Amino acid sequence: MTDKPDLEALRSEVRAFLAAEAPTGWRDASRTQDDFVRTQRDWFGRLVKAGYAIPHWPASFPGGGRSLAEQKVIYEELAKADCPRLLLSFVSTYHAFATLHECASDEQRAQYLPRILEGETWCQGFSEPGAGSDLAAIKTRAERKGDVYVVNGQKVWSTMAQFADKCLLLVRTASDGPKQAGITYLLMDMKTPGVSVRPIHQIQGDEEFAEIFLDNVEIPVSERVGEEGKGWAVAQATLASERGLTLMELSYRMRGALSRVAALIREHGHEEDRGILRDFGELVTQVDAVCAIADQFLDNRIRGIERIGDASIVKNSYSRALRAYAKLGLRLGGIAEQYIAPITFGDLNTGNWMADFMNSYAWTIAGGSEEVQRNIIAERMLDMPREPRAWVA
Amino acid sequence: MIELNELTDAAQKAFPADSLSPGRDESWRLVAEMGWLMVRLPEEDGGLGLDREASAAIHFEMGRVLATTPLIPAQLGLQAVLASTIPARSDWLERLAGGEYAPLHMLPASVLNGTKGTLSGTVGGVFDADMAVAVVAKLPDGYALIPTDAPGVSVVERPIWDTSRRLFDLVLDGYTPDPDLMLTDEAGAQALHDALAPEAHLAIAADCLGAANAALDMTVEYMKVRRQFDRPIAMFQALKHRAADMKIRIAAAEALLWNRVRDPEATLTQCGAAKTLAAEVFAYVTEEAIQLHGGIGLTDEHPIHRFMKRAMLNLQLCGSSDLWNERTGREALEVS
Repeated sequence: MTDKPDLEALRSEVRAFLAAEAPTGWRDASRTQDDFVRTQRDWFGRLVKAGYAIPHWPASFPGGGRSLAEQKVIYEELAKADCPRLLLSFVSTYHAFATLHECASDEQRAQYLPRILEGETWCQGFSEPGAGSDLAAIKTRAERKGDVYVVNGQKVWSTMAQFADKCLLLVRTASDGPKQAGITYLLMDMKTPGVSVRPIHQIQGDEEFAEIFLDNVEIPVSERVGEEGKGWAVAQATLASERGLTLMELSYRMRGALSRVAALIREHGHEEDRGILRDFGELVTQVDAVCAIADQFLDNRIRGIERIGDASIVKNSYSRALRAYAKLGLRLGGIAEQYIAPITFGDLNTGNWMADFMNSYAWTIAGGSEEVQRNIIAERMLDMPREPRAWVA
Repeated sequence: MIELNELTDAAQKAFPADSLSPGRDESWRLVAEMGWLMVRLPEEDGGLGLDREASAAIHFEMGRVLATTPLIPAQLGLQAVLASTIPARSDWLERLAGGEYAPLHMLPASVLNGTKGTLSGTVGGVFDADMAVAVVAKLPDGYALIPTDAPGVSVVERPIWDTSRRLFDLVLDGYTPDPDLMLTDEAGAQALHDALAPEAHLAIAADCLGAANAALDMTVEYMKVRRQFDRPIAMFQALKHRAADMKIRIAAAEALLWNRVRDPEATLTQCGAAKTLAAEVFAYVTEEAIQLHGGIGLTDEHPIHRFMKRAMLNLQLCGSSDLWNERTGREALEVS
């Protein structure tokens, strides 16, 4: 498909930048946590400077104000050039941005958005040991004492919290009434006394997630987003950001990363193996369909016609395709993929198929498991009855 | 300019969802009256000059009601005549746009040259040939319009499982082609095939997905009504999740279909891939649908089996999934 002239110009501009500056050898250079953080910060800084880090932000920020079509071009080229994903700044540029942009005060926006571009990173303190898919069941408690909230509790599955400067924090300020009603949304500095972080060692040897322990942490009332008790609606804005642009970026990245499967087919001399070509073709079509549905979802959102459940469909389509992608790579890679090799810290595209396969579960479980998404689709889109809520022993 | 949703609304009014597979003859008259045969015909040739999106929207609605009317082969036949320079081209276009039926065959032909310029063999997969005035078929010397009443031509029905359609062989026995009805020469046959094939794939894909949506709706409605263990089976998570999976897979295939329909530069392989995904999803949905209907799904009196039969036939049209998946894989390997 050929682009319109302005998109073609952008594409060559991005290509020229990447030809000169795309990081090489970043997988090898991201195998310890410190190295990972360094390479991520470095690449983010260079993308900010080039104007490609935050194409989805408003035009008042350098590199912002890009149309959807332009964003797609940028993501496609970054993926094709096999650049590292901006994992460390992911929550900052999507979730924190969406929250601040849509729900925060002018002061909060003015204070925090520019700092993200300078490299300040955010994590998300939403899930708790007893509140994953049932997010509104959070128990972390905040009590207002004068100008501060005093927070006690525990968060879990916070991506890269161990490196974060700030945290998007959901706390409970009331426990009477519906459970969504007593939730308040705070912006927390990770260096506040009483905050401690423990990384979680994952099955692929990674430490992408962490637990956050909160012991009498004092957060100024001025750091609240929205009104007290109205944090649930703000949290929806945070989560919605993941479902639009993020999935488009990820889908196009997966489309670009199909070249890794192609490389395996060539490497193992399967170019004329019809069975393997079929399986590869089926995957290509599946990934094309994910790109198409991510596009359609975003277009609809921009036109204001998103329906409940649409986001769940996109997420499930993506996570299914990701699993299929990783599995085909794992299969074609053979026994070599079973040898433990040093992996790139915290990526879905590590250069090691077994690690990628294990990592694919992050998408079928995190951010609302497949099963929760299926319930949403069945109950909210297909209008099927809910199971009785009360559980009787 | 006719808006897409106007076309969809008109289609849904003319072919309401509660009446599956309405009678073929009255459907055909309705289709002609609504001008659907003229949708892809340019305005300068007396047509409506609409794009692929318009015809895909109609095929989607025709799939939804398991239409008996053979609109897809009719449109392809019309486009083949449109692309030709036969002497009576405008006359034929007028007749075909007005409701005379000249389908394109949908399966390979096996025709051999005989003595004195005659042809013998079988052109397979002609839908509803019994009502055709002519058939557009690929002969050894190129695509031709073959009048069904010409000497040496007969149509033989090949009864099929799909109850919403009728399939025929066009049998040639010493047939002498009319030079004035040759739409292409031998060299031009491939070009015409390649021009029409994307259109055929997208039309079948739209038919598949309209029907898959209807099969899912029917299944979900049944699951809400059917009670076991004192509650509707739609309440059981294990079953509900299967319905959600159907919805997810239909939605992704639909997004791909509309993406390719709207991209005039989508390649034949890309259109073939969209059809393959749509047909596979349709087949999967109907398999699940029969299972979720339980025993009633196995009876002739419940209509859900008709969806499965159409799905299985659609899978065989315009090349198998194996063929298109392989082609997609091969092309992706070349460019990546």
